[in-house]
Amino acid sequence: MQKPAERMPLKNYRVLDLSRIWAGPYCTKLFADMGAEIIKMESLSVYDSHRGPVSPARGIAAYPDGEPGEEPWNRNGWFNCLHMSKYGVTLELTEAEGRMVFEQLVSISDVLIENFRQGSLERLGYTYEELRKHRPDLIYVSMPAFGNTGPWKGYLGYGIGQEQLSGMAHMTGYRGDGPMKSGINHGDPITGSHAAGVLMAALRHRRLTGKGMYIDVSQQESAVALMGPEVLAYQMTGEEPERRGNRSGWYAPANSYPCAGEDRWVTIAATNEEQWQKLTQAMSAAGLANDPHFATAEQRRENHDELDRIISEWTISQEAYAVTHLLQAAGVPAGPVLRGPDLLADAHYKDRGTFVTVDHPQVGPKQYPGIPWRMSATPGRVRWPSPTLGQHNRDVYGELLGLTGPEIDLLEKTGTIGTKPTGSRII
Amino acid sequence: MPGLLEGVKVLDLTHYIAGPYCTKLLSGLGADVVKVERLGTGDGVRWLGPFASGGGKIPPGPPFLKGGNAPEDGAWFLYLNTAKQSLALDLKSHAGRKIMLELATKADILVENFVPGGMDSLGLSYAELSQVNPALVVTSISNFGQTGPYRDWKASELNLYALGGLMNITGEPEQEPLKEGMPLAQLGAGQNAFAATMAALMYSEETGEGQQVDLAIAEYATNILENALMQYSYSGQEYSRVGNRGYGRAAWGIYPCADGHVGIIAGPDHRWPEVARIMGREELSDPRFTSRAGRLEHADEVDAYMLPFLIDNNKVDIFKAGQESGLGFSFVATMKDILEMEQLLDRDYFVQLDHPVAGTLTYPGAPITPEDSVEAWVFRRAPLLGEHTASALNSWLGYSEAQVLELVQKGVIAQNEGA
Repeated sequence: MQKPAERMPLKNYRVLDLSRIWAGPYCTKLFADMGAEIIKMESLSVYDSHRGPVSPARGIAAYPDGEPGEEPWNRNGWFNCLHMSKYGVTLELTEAEGRMVFEQLVSISDVLIENFRQGSLERLGYTYEELRKHRPDLIYVSMPAFGNTGPWKGYLGYGIGQEQLSGMAHMTGYRGDGPMKSGINHGDPITGSHAAGVLMAALRHRRLTGKGMYIDVSQQESAVALMGPEVLAYQMTGEEPERRGNRSGWYAPANSYPCAGEDRWVTIAATNEEQWQKLTQAMSAAGLANDPHFATAEQRRENHDELDRIISEWTISQEAYAVTHLLQAAGVPAGPVLRGPDLLADAHYKDRGTFVTVDHPQVGPKQYPGIPWRMSATPGRVRWPSPTLGQHNRDVYGELLGLTGPEIDLLEKTGTIGTKPTGSRII
Repeated sequence: MPGLLEGVKVLDLTHYIAGPYCTKLLSGLGADVVKVERLGTGDGVRWLGPFASGGGKIPPGPPFLKGGNAPEDGAWFLYLNTAKQSLALDLKSHAGRKIMLELATKADILVENFVPGGMDSLGLSYAELSQVNPALVVTSISNFGQTGPYRDWKASELNLYALGGLMNITGEPEQEPLKEGMPLAQLGAGQNAFAATMAALMYSEETGEGQQVDLAIAEYATNILENALMQYSYSGQEYSRVGNRGYGRAAWGIYPCADGHVGIIAGPDHRWPEVARIMGREELSDPRFTSRAGRLEHADEVDAYMLPFLIDNNKVDIFKAGQESGLGFSFVATMKDILEMEQLLDRDYFVQLDHPVAGTLTYPGAPITPEDSVEAWVFRRAPLLGEHTASALNSWLGYSEAQVLELVQKGVIAQNEGA
């Protein structure tokens, strides 16, 4: 367990990470990307549910070639894309021996983070006050769905629910139709990213003052923070936001248009007059530019249906990338709707190293999303694949805590630690 | 204590959405953020409605609104620029550039989201900035990043959501792919830029070495695809659009109800009997539906049994019926619902800010709350264009009133007369 050899911004910080699923793990993923030492702790009876069920059916695409293998919990791509460069340990906090080890880990950690249901850690006797007895300057990030106070504090929430309870789903959808969820659960990375930045500010504050702090994260509040402009707009107009499909409330045309091939689409947006003129030129449709129906943005918004029909006729026989290259060369915002295979083959993402190949011992080399930004002085890298269940028990409990071989053997024998699940609850 | 980042100086050259959200988080945490705005027109997002003074209609965007002073009361500008100071300056003038370099010597952080190469053409390249301040953190946010074949491509949120892979998986399978109503690629990229900037600041303070952070909005989208990308990477099977149902799930998604829409989450399996009980339909206890796989196989049938109860009941009642039974139900909140939400009100989430033009409005507060004994966040209204020109030049560089006046007369800077 050595610190990264290369220069990395957070290499001097250790995070004890009890978080699971996505919101907390995205926060600690960003920390791991920046070089922090993340000790991801799971329970053998309730491991991180992103690992999937203990005995999944065959054919589920999250496993390599749909094959769960003997240890499916170590072969799930869902889990394996979020925990690279983290250490993985297991510990049963309900056992007395486990509690002792946990308290020792707390004592050597800068940060403790969890996104259990509100009050879960407290019910095990670990309030912030209690945790601070083991580490006086600990920063404790508690990240339940609705925060640690208020009438809903005990309620459960998932990323999909936060899209709804923040108002995001309310303004997403086809025109004239109901609200729509996203293809992911935006609530999770939104909370994880906010938490990562605020946690760094707290670590900096501790460096200056010597004081730790308790950080109460409401995943819902974190999501509503991104809705601010629409919350203000509602107060100004008294009107709820409109669902506009892929159109814009400001400029026109803006939409997705069908292209050659099955389920192939290109997006085009003329955000100002100049781009509108250039679009008509690129379409070799000078007549459009002079058509009084489309003279101003307001008119183009009013006659958007007709405009969409005309543009669709132009795009439908062309490749989405070809339309994009043509329009971008003319200075018009455009882009193909990329699918999984397109993303991994895309020239720009290849050039930037957006996706990285990582060799996982039970999966083999596969492509993953890498570090989501570039840094000139501390570029960093994905250092190792996501840990298998309990992979680093001996490194962490032996090397870091100084437990002897026989002591660790005993922990294994009593089921306090291990590498094989004793159960798992999956939502 | 006025904010966790008290004393951190940020030179803010951002505009529109992604950059300003990044610097809003910094100013919210108490950093001294000076936003440099174009003379006369200011940040382009000032021109995006609706406006507090403009009634119910959303006027067209900036290029279509000719003449007049930059609006002060647009919803987007007001929210994205809280607690910042505004310095109106002509970046393209020789004297303006000189002032920028002086400010850069005092700054800890500079955040910009010009098109790649924009800073170079202003004579403010990273090389030039780091020469005057080697410890400076320069965060550059752009659509596609500072390198690569699409570097100079133009893009709106729609194009970024498409190229980032998120759009393909949103919407109904038989209809066109859909973007989010909110610009979540840009806002999320702004969030990540905040985290990246904080990491670079930590490093700079510990080593004295600054650096440039290159953050691409499209790459933010690719970073949060999660299983939508991984299942293709692992098994070659493409993820697809599934409308309002969870991927590979049933009784898991958005449903209509009496007064709007609710989110039903049927799971974990051992909780399914609770769902059946809430919906009041014995048929739902059928063993065919007790497992996730079984419900998926009979998804339409399950929906048909749930809908009568849902259609008869209100969203908050359904939400609470689920939650009180330990189920993670939700509901689709409107803006009105959000402003009245008991949980948010109980936690004092909102802040009221008074603005000389926009009046008093209720703003979402801190996205995250560190403990009460620390005043982690500061809340101040967004600045008028050029409101802090004199005070920022004085506090950062010690400029006298006479110096400021001379620069105003030369047209290098401008002050808001009403301030």
